[in-house]
Amino acid sequence: MTLLNEPPVTSRTTEAPVYTPRRPSIGKAIVNWVTSTDHKTIGYMYIFTSMIWFFIAGLMALVIRAELALPGLQVISLEQYNQLFTMHGTIMLLLFATPLFVGFGNVIMPLQIGSPDVAFPRLNMFGYWLFLFGGLIVGAGFLTPGGAASFGWFAYAPLSNAVFSPSAGADLWFIGLAVGGLGTILSGVNFVTTIMTMRAPGMTMFRMPIFTWTIFITSVLVLVAFPVLAAALVVMFIDRTFGSVVFLPENGGAILWQHLFWFFGHPEVYIIALPFFGIASEIIPVFSRKPVFGYKGLIFATMAIGALSFAVWAHHMYVTGSVYLPFFALMTMLIAVPTGVKFFNWIGTMWRGSISFDTPMLWTMGFMVTFLFGGLTGIILSAPPLDFHVSDSYFVVAHFHYVVFGTVVFLMFAGLYFWWPKMTGKMLNERLGKIHFWLLFIGFQVTFLVQHWLGVQGMPRRYGDYLPVDGFTTLNIVSTVGAAILGISTLFFIWNVLTTMKNAPKVTVDDPWGWGGSLEWATSCPPPRHNFTSLPRIRSERPAFDLHHPELAPPSARSQPQISTSASQSGGGPS
Amino acid sequence: MKIEGWTFALGFLFFWAISGAYWYLSRDEVGTTLLVLTGALAFLVAFYVLYTAKRVYPRPEDRSDGEIDEADPEYGFFSPHSWWPLVVGLGAATIAMGLVFAVWVIVLGGAVLLLGIVGWLFEYYRGEFAR
Repeated sequence: MTLLNEPPVTSRTTEAPVYTPRRPSIGKAIVNWVTSTDHKTIGYMYIFTSMIWFFIAGLMALVIRAELALPGLQVISLEQYNQLFTMHGTIMLLLFATPLFVGFGNVIMPLQIGSPDVAFPRLNMFGYWLFLFGGLIVGAGFLTPGGAASFGWFAYAPLSNAVFSPSAGADLWFIGLAVGGLGTILSGVNFVTTIMTMRAPGMTMFRMPIFTWTIFITSVLVLVAFPVLAAALVVMFIDRTFGSVVFLPENGGAILWQHLFWFFGHPEVYIIALPFFGIASEIIPVFSRKPVFGYKGLIFATMAIGALSFAVWAHHMYVTGSVYLPFFALMTMLIAVPTGVKFFNWIGTMWRGSISFDTPMLWTMGFMVTFLFGGLTGIILSAPPLDFHVSDSYFVVAHFHYVVFGTVVFLMFAGLYFWWPKMTGKMLNERLGKIHFWLLFIGFQVTFLVQHWLGVQGMPRRYGDYLPVDGFTTLNIVSTVGAAILGISTLFFIWNVLTTMKNAPKVTVDDPWGWGGSLEWATSCPPPRHNFTSLPRIRSERPAFDLHHPELAPPSARSQPQISTSASQSGGGPS
Repeated sequence: MKIEGWTFALGFLFFWAISGAYWYLSRDEVGTTLLVLTGALAFLVAFYVLYTAKRVYPRPEDRSDGEIDEADPEYGFFSPHSWWPLVVGLGAATIAMGLVFAVWVIVLGGAVLLLGIVGWLFEYYRGEFAR
């Protein structure tokens, strides 16, 4: 009725109505998340869930450090201590770092190749549920009468068999990790397929961002390594439950388990390292205002690390006395070469660049310092004569925390600060981010640097107690104080997230950092449901940079037939 | 598609070369088997991708002068949202719990899993999104 009474429209002076989605009710929002097939939403769920596990396992680490601060048992019993370090390792490796790779890969990779989604959206969601339920099954071990698994995260036979670890918690550990591992395999399949078949026209393999390349190589590593783990876990479960004898020591099963576990376990280290190297390779050019130095060198280094990572597994088994030492020592030392190439390229990117120390860059530099230390102690450990002296000591603990924490945690925060505007539409607070970084950096170095000396003095790993006469007390106190600083630093991150969620202004530009190169910076913050309203022409490995800085773009990219300026107008929030 | 294929082909060459060297040096059955099978997996993918690449024209994403509007207009079908991954995941997790605790839980999980798989497979054969 009223429509008929309206005056006829003669000229369009008003703007077209902008669609602003109503905030859905809580129930509707939960249904939207639970039934989502959007790669970004699933990625956020992966990142959120793995962060929860990170905090849980971090609290376990704090309890462990509290127990170790002084000789004698003050906080927990030895059996509880065993459960805590087992679950700390298991959670950090398999329920935090690995899903975090899947999370970052899910959110960022399809954006970087100009794809509307991943190849198998429902499979993607299925993978998340397997990770979530598998993780809950593993964690449920704490609720059983016998407690959680307590045989160390690599579950050496025969300690982990039904005779020595009869608890239901151990069964849950094996079967839960098998379930979660299946989810990781499915994600690997999904990523490989997506990268091979869903790139935007013009996005050749050698124009893909380094991060996408690392996701590609990492997914291939997943496809090789995780089935071996799944097989080993299931066979051990059958040994435990149905009485088969595959991993009995008298059948050579103890060494067989170590071979199978480490054939998974060593590539696993690179599965959680390579994607984060990719994050560093994305961040450094943006904050150095230079294209990445040695683009192909970085890619070939990634491939070389991926290939070599399958030929070094037995350097975890030097002290068994039943592996061929020269082969594994040589291969392990060889891996330092492509890793060094990466450092060379990162430094070459920064060299004579116009560096600004925004939080993502700060975290990346923190990673480079920390990981370099870890890499150097890795060279020491790769030499069997040196490894025999410090194997299974705190020197090794310090080494792998420098490597893994240095890579995963530092670059996770780098990536979160870097892509937070892309994920949420809000910038994180720089000042809080810098306090967070410096506290965490100092806390980390204080915690783990002294552990090198503890190891050299002979403190073995996985012992819940030591004697005053051992002389370990002072350094252990220092380490525990560092751990406390480390724990406190995380509160600044949580505070940062909460305050900026409420108070920070909405990001209205596609690229808030100003010098972003890859395609995720050519769409709105956060991107719309299928990522792009229009794509720029892709003529280099930095299509978004060419779009935003046409004066510096190659000539073939400059005459833009389709220009994406309004992408930031049309985006809805993540639903 | 050639570069994708060659990535795997290089892996295949590396793994089989290394497994030969490793067997010669160490006589370790387990490690050699693992390396040979890893090479075989790489061969499988490399063969399929390179075989396909020979039989198709370079796709727009393989050419450095590809234009955005060359992409297939029938880009693909993307499930808008789905309950079935949750159902299948619950079924799988229930079976896992049943393996630890009791047989009847396995049966229950198997039923949920079957329901989920059927629902997943036939989700887009009927109803609103049938195609």
